[in-house]
Amino acid sequence: MIELEGVRKEFDGKSVLSGVTGRVERGEIFAVIGPSGSGKSTLLRLVDLLDTPTGGTIRIKGADIRRELGKSLSVRRMMGMVFQKPAVFNTTVAENIAVGLRFRGARDAAVKPKVEEALDTVGLAGYGERRARTLSGGEMQRVALARAMVIEPEILLMDEPTANLDPVSVATIESLVLRINRDLGTTIVFSTHDMYQGQRLAHRIGVLMNGTFAQVGTPREVFTVPATREVARFVGIENIVDGVVVGEDGNAAVEAGGIRVRAAALPGPGEKVSLCIRSEDLRITPADAAKAPPGRNALPGIVTAIVPRGPFSRVTVDCGVALSSVLSWKRVDDLDLREGSRVVVSFAPESVHAVGAD
Amino acid sequence: MLRRTLFAVAAVMVAILLICGCTGTTSGPTPADNETQQLRIATTTSLHDTKLLDHLKPIFEEQYNAEVLIISAGTGKAIEYGERGDVDVLMVHDRAREDAFLANGYGTDRRVFAYNYFVLVGPESDPAGVANMTPEAAFTAIREKGTTGDANVTFVSRGDASGTHSKEQAIWKAAGFNYTTDVQGSGDWYQEAGTGMGATLSMANEKQAYTLSDIGTYLAYKGDIDLVTLVDEGDILLNVYCAMQINPEKYPDTNTTLAKDWINFLISDEVQNEIASFGVDQYGQPLFYAVGDDWEKIGVTEAEVKDPVQ
Amino acid sequence: MYEIIEGIIEAARLIVTLDPDVMAISARSIVISLTATVVATLVAVPLGAAIYFGTFPGKKSLINLIQTLYSLPTVIVGLLIFLLLSRVGPFGFFRLLFTPTAMIIAQTVLILPIMTGLTISALSGVDPVIRDTLRSLGATRFQFLKSVMKEARFAILAAVAVGFGRAISEVGAAILVGGNIMASSFASSTRVLTTAISLETSMGNISQSIALGIILLVIALAVNLVITTIQHR
Repeated sequence: MIELEGVRKEFDGKSVLSGVTGRVERGEIFAVIGPSGSGKSTLLRLVDLLDTPTGGTIRIKGADIRRELGKSLSVRRMMGMVFQKPAVFNTTVAENIAVGLRFRGARDAAVKPKVEEALDTVGLAGYGERRARTLSGGEMQRVALARAMVIEPEILLMDEPTANLDPVSVATIESLVLRINRDLGTTIVFSTHDMYQGQRLAHRIGVLMNGTFAQVGTPREVFTVPATREVARFVGIENIVDGVVVGEDGNAAVEAGGIRVRAAALPGPGEKVSLCIRSEDLRITPADAAKAPPGRNALPGIVTAIVPRGPFSRVTVDCGVALSSVLSWKRVDDLDLREGSRVVVSFAPESVHAVGAD
Repeated sequence: MLRRTLFAVAAVMVAILLICGCTGTTSGPTPADNETQQLRIATTTSLHDTKLLDHLKPIFEEQYNAEVLIISAGTGKAIEYGERGDVDVLMVHDRAREDAFLANGYGTDRRVFAYNYFVLVGPESDPAGVANMTPEAAFTAIREKGTTGDANVTFVSRGDASGTHSKEQAIWKAAGFNYTTDVQGSGDWYQEAGTGMGATLSMANEKQAYTLSDIGTYLAYKGDIDLVTLVDEGDILLNVYCAMQINPEKYPDTNTTLAKDWINFLISDEVQNEIASFGVDQYGQPLFYAVGDDWEKIGVTEAEVKDPVQ
Repeated sequence: MYEIIEGIIEAARLIVTLDPDVMAISARSIVISLTATVVATLVAVPLGAAIYFGTFPGKKSLINLIQTLYSLPTVIVGLLIFLLLSRVGPFGFFRLLFTPTAMIIAQTVLILPIMTGLTISALSGVDPVIRDTLRSLGATRFQFLKSVMKEARFAILAAVAVGFGRAISEVGAAILVGGNIMASSFASSTRVLTTAISLETSMGNISQSIALGIILLVIALAVNLVITTIQHR
């Protein structure tokens, strides 16, 4: 549906996108995640033809949009976009929603029922005659969504749509997104800096970093098998250990900070790697407990910090490298853990994911 | 909806005013009989402010089925309007500049229709002691006191190249002074107002200063100010009013017919009587004198006073 | 002090008894300035839009120039129009000098820069996200321009109000090109509130001046009220 090939964009000599390549399939929900300023908005604006790329190709339904400028209006008209800042026109809610239809020359008789239906869909039935500027942020964003959907676009673009909203509004909009995709088959591309939102909603995720897609894959892939150290950092893998591969094949391990970590799927010896271990895969047990089963990594260490996080606590252990895991308070109490406690951190080699060091 | 209303209002307004503006300019040289003609007169503020012209205007308008538009400005500006051909008649009271105007071919058919005298007015206390002196002596005394630092002695001048200002300068010259070196800027005692006669009188009143005024404006303001007449006799104070036509050879679309009518109107016997009695009810004395047979006294020819314009 | 109070009382009397001279002068002021404002709006708003939306070399300098012209002294405009309309001037054959039409022309020219400039400001005040939204909804160039102007309509309306205020309260140009004529017909006279105030003051008629001043303020207030009401609907 949407193909990006080496898309570049520069502003005043500063390069924002330096070669973005990827595809979005028809009917899927694709999330573009990345740190602030990584160019997510720029990318979406390029797709919506609000800006022109400095280089590269963008194809929508097979048509190169740069080449065929004459068709740009009709191409833009099959897309709808919702922006980060809820932007409503200074008129009634119904008039707001009707704008796109009016641009396409729809007559009043045709407009009214569509607007009513759109209001219903986004849960704002009866809001038609209210002045749009008096609505709350979440309501305005729903109006914006209704406005974009009422023109029945094949592609819906959303630039950080829930960035400034309260949690209830966020949830409402998210469920709307899922429904639109499910019921109407609309292809949806949205950007967000909330990776969990990407995980909740998207079929596939593209991680935009340093002006290109560092990784494109399903949420599971991105979160558990990050392609680079930076992606790993971004998707919230707390334990990243840098080291060098020693040994080979069956005896392969990574030398890091004076300890050895056994991991599956390692490159050859001498290679520098970064090891990514999710907190959930770490087990912390008191030093004098029963020994860990063979094959697992078992690193002794001292608790250096216990930081509360909601109903859990993040326990950081110094085992030569710093590793941390998340445990419930109850568990922390049961194990009588406190700063200075001697513990053993154990994890399976399979839960260690190695990425090339960059 | 708003836009449409705005458009409608605009269209109506523009239409109305274009019509109005156009009818305002249908004063061509060959008018239709029933159409009201327009006569444009440029005059000085001092003459206009006496309201003599406002008094005579309706009489003329009725008689000649005309509309008289009077534009008043300082003498200099009025003369400029005449030179540019923006008016049909010029009425001022500055012989010297009128002579130049005629000589340069801008005007024709000058007729004198009234005269009066300028007066030197000042505070009742008369700190310079000029009461009943000759004008030249009075001016000299004022300057004497003023330049030697008597703070009570001030003279307010029109300072605007008006007929009154010209007269004032003539008196300084007759008293033996060089205006630009001996009078202008010679001290705080001499202040130039740069405004019309009425405003100058008000200013002089505020400062309790001396000033030269035409009798008409002074009488009109007498009720509102405390200044009194101190010097009112002397040939140099003579103030002769003339009206002349803008030369149709220079500006062919001058309304010559009506201009001639107006000038003849002014020198006709009935109007001369009207002028001679103007202001008596209000001020106890007339503001103007009809020339009658005194053309010699005021230094003009009989023809200028009596002969109707052809 | 007494003089002022006396003046205000006399002013009230003139207004309440609908003194015909005062009424004629007021009506003329409104008609002339309103016409000038309408004409200026019809020029300034599209012009402002064209400048704002257009891309051409020297655009910034042009906008700077317009903003500098905000402070154009009214007497300069008056003088310019006077020279143009005078019999010896290039447009003398229209014989427009000393007519209400000349005053409308002068006032229109006077308020054009400020109305154009404020229109440009109004349009730049429209949120860029709004503009993106309009384009993303598939607006043609014309629909886009129309919608942005609609979004900026209140600010543009405010510009119109400013224009009217400046037109009705200026004296310099009105006296120069109008001549402050009090003729027997409404359409030939060129005396308006401001020039009348000037004249009456110089003649010492305080109460007349105060009355005219009060009326001028009331008119300005009324116009602004109308504009504000429209804005709040």
